[in-house]
Amino acid sequence: MKAFGFDYRRGTSIIHILDPRSKFIYTILFTALTVYFVNPLVLLLVFLSSVPMVAVAGVGKSWLRSIRGSLFFIAFIFIFNLIGIFWTTGSVADALIMSISMSLRFMALISIFSVFFLTTSPEDLTQSMVQLKIPYDYALTFNMAMRFVPTLSREAQIIMDAQRSRGLELEKGNIFQRVRNYIPVLIPLIISSFRRAELVADAMESRAFGAAKRRTSLYVLTMGRRDFLFILFSVAAFLAFLSLKVLFGIQ
Amino acid sequence: MISFEDVSYSYSPGRYAIEHINLSIDKGEVVAILGENGAGKTTLIKHINGLLKPQSGSVIVLGMNTKETTVATLARHVGLVFQNPDHQLFAETVEKEIMFALTNFNFPEDEISRRVNWALKEFGLLEYKDRPPFLLSGGERKRLALASVLCYDPQIVILDEPTTGQDYRQKLHLASLIKKLNSESKTVVVVTHDIEFAADFIPRSIIMSKGRIIADGDSEELLTNRELLMSASLIPPQLVELSWDLALNPPTIHFDELVSSVKKLLEGREA
Repeated sequence: MKAFGFDYRRGTSIIHILDPRSKFIYTILFTALTVYFVNPLVLLLVFLSSVPMVAVAGVGKSWLRSIRGSLFFIAFIFIFNLIGIFWTTGSVADALIMSISMSLRFMALISIFSVFFLTTSPEDLTQSMVQLKIPYDYALTFNMAMRFVPTLSREAQIIMDAQRSRGLELEKGNIFQRVRNYIPVLIPLIISSFRRAELVADAMESRAFGAAKRRTSLYVLTMGRRDFLFILFSVAAFLAFLSLKVLFGIQ
Repeated sequence: MISFEDVSYSYSPGRYAIEHINLSIDKGEVVAILGENGAGKTTLIKHINGLLKPQSGSVIVLGMNTKETTVATLARHVGLVFQNPDHQLFAETVEKEIMFALTNFNFPEDEISRRVNWALKEFGLLEYKDRPPFLLSGGERKRLALASVLCYDPQIVILDEPTTGQDYRQKLHLASLIKKLNSESKTVVVVTHDIEFAADFIPRSIIMSKGRIIADGDSEELLTNRELLMSASLIPPQLVELSWDLALNPPTIHFDELVSSVKKLLEGREA
């Protein structure tokens, strides 16, 4: 199980070499769009707009894996919205449209974030956060959280195997029962994460982490012309989407 | 009882984790699986309770083809204890942890409490009954993991690295447990790096290297074979190294035999 596509591989595409800050602006703007709009067609467009970037970056395989990995959650979101909205409004059409929107919104978010994380090295990301005046401790914490996602998903697999060996059937029962089935998987996962965090902290401190008052960087990120162009495009696309609301009242 | 017929499995294309495995283990046998890191030991045992299904070949356990049987069904007969207890302990108390498998397999209530009590006593965990498993020491957690599987009395017991992090006394306890399981004609498979443990307590060894079984037979014969151990990157047991250094013929893995050979040597020198 390779859950989300936060599995960065070095690459040389134009998307890879963009400054993380410019990609971050794109991510923020498009995330705002997915949260703002509820029209399923617009959300589909937002989702599709990330596809060319995936193609240019050549990360199609990992991107597909992210989407596939989130299918379970998407199904979950779809079903719960369908039931919930039908319950409150009593309209099948409303419920259906809204559930499709919510599922698309989630897919678009996964896609946008995948593009960012699949093409941005964790080191560059930390460095850009530092250059954005975020304290180094927080930047590093974030970096490490990302770094441990694949470790965590490997570990989740082992835990599932261990519990299935004791007769746990994850696919048994109705939807509520199934969610409960995951408790014996989640608890060991959380606890071993805490244990590991402690170990990592000890290992870092024994190698003098935090000894230097002022950190200097070997590499400094600089924004180039392509970054400004990319930001320009992102903002233009963002405004084009917003104009749908202003001109046609679509939301 | 357990049979592998030409089984191969790969996690990523082009690289086999295990390859052309043929293996048969009878009822009541005690077997050690030895080999360097990445030799395919864990992949092999995950085939026995169906966590992994063979990509080619077949695995038959107690007459069931694992490809056509669910893990839950197999797990009722095949108890697999994982290497790291932290990968399975989750319950609020030690007692509930042991109950987990028993409830999953729908044991009746009085049977559950009887078995839980047995396991708590057998593994020296009675006094920790109401404690959260996470507050136990490393060795105690390892014992709890064992207890939480052996409580449902599976016919086949598979232990993945049971001796890591255990002191010598616990290893002896484990050895006597294996002996006891064996006397109840259970089948026991032990995956281990602890070649001393295998030499001391396990009659049959299977040696793996790079996804293949390179030797399978009597532990004494295999663990005194210098070329074999070298090719599997295994360090020989200390008794064997000592026998080699003393040029004993044949070399031995048994302490008593070594002592009597040394005595003979000394007598020969005095005479």
